[in-house]
Amino acid sequence: MTRAAAQEQNVEQSVPLAALFTAFLLVSLCGVGGGGGIVWTRRIAVEKRHWISDEEFADIVSLCQFMPGPNIVGIAVCIGAKMRGAIGTIAALCGFLVIPWAVGLSFGFLYLEYAHLTVLRNILGGIAAAAAGLLIATGIRLLIPHRRRAAALLFAALAFGLVIYARLPLLAVLFGLVPLSIAVAGIENTRAR
Amino acid sequence: MSSPSAPIALTVHLALVSSISFGGFPTVLPDVRDFVVVTHGWMTDQEFANFFAIAQSIPGPNMILMMSFVGWKVWGFPGALASAFATFGPPCAIYFAGYRLWDRFRDAPWQRIVRLGLVPVTMGIVIASGAVMARAADTGWRTVALTIAAAAMTLATRFNPMWTLLAGAALGGLGLL
Repeated sequence: MTRAAAQEQNVEQSVPLAALFTAFLLVSLCGVGGGGGIVWTRRIAVEKRHWISDEEFADIVSLCQFMPGPNIVGIAVCIGAKMRGAIGTIAALCGFLVIPWAVGLSFGFLYLEYAHLTVLRNILGGIAAAAAGLLIATGIRLLIPHRRRAAALLFAALAFGLVIYARLPLLAVLFGLVPLSIAVAGIENTRAR
Repeated sequence: MSSPSAPIALTVHLALVSSISFGGFPTVLPDVRDFVVVTHGWMTDQEFANFFAIAQSIPGPNMILMMSFVGWKVWGFPGALASAFATFGPPCAIYFAGYRLWDRFRDAPWQRIVRLGLVPVTMGIVIASGAVMARAADTGWRTVALTIAAAAMTLATRFNPMWTLLAGAALGGLGLL
């Protein structure tokens, strides 16, 4: 699709600001623990609302890895900007931050009072174990479009191994592997012609 | 407790480190800890660790919440608000500008190549972060099984992930994990 046609389609199916607000409110409230933002944003923006494709979502997640800050907030900013520009970004951000921040702050003070309760700790432990599985599955899902390229799978495995087994800092892995990976993709591209 | 300039110093410091927090805010947490615990003595190590544990286990924007607890400790509610803004404000401006730039070159041939190279690496990292979380959360074979079952469910079905999380909460709450 050409860019003009894509834009025309976007204008036609203009997403209401309230929908952006509620979508990211849900993402924020559902995302317990690190990485929940990716799981829930994909669920809502890709699977349920069909605002963007899996490929576009993978683009945005990757882009956010390269910029400073809490990445899940970055994903809200980018999807808001994609759907409705600056005002869309503000709607998505407000949904993501305002209510969850107030709720989280009050919940946090309650939690400080009752942190000694074993039941509460066990519940949170169960949620954490399930949440880890959700995040792993989402990463695999977003890798599926690339499954036919051996180089893509190799670089994904390398990135995984360097973080998990070599315990290299994230930034070192990103800046070490990405240029190599892009170079390989470039070479493949010229050969294919 | 702290000098009147403390909230300003904290806010400015948070705004600075959030602008360079590549790879997410946790990468600059050690620096924030040094600043608030060692340099200024606004809180103890134990308090800082508690804030981290709470922020990780409640829904919402975790790191922004954690910095709000830190800000609260220094200057009450205004401190919490200022710290929250300092944590998400500068990165949001950068995200917005970055996305605009990326979008402008949407149809450029080089962007397709960059995408082909970039996405597999970042997805490897996403899966690795899941594995890191699993390592912290999975304390025995039951929790390992739960993590694997949750991943398999998400891949095989379009089940709402909330049910998976609730199942985890129920199993944990009943003392079955």
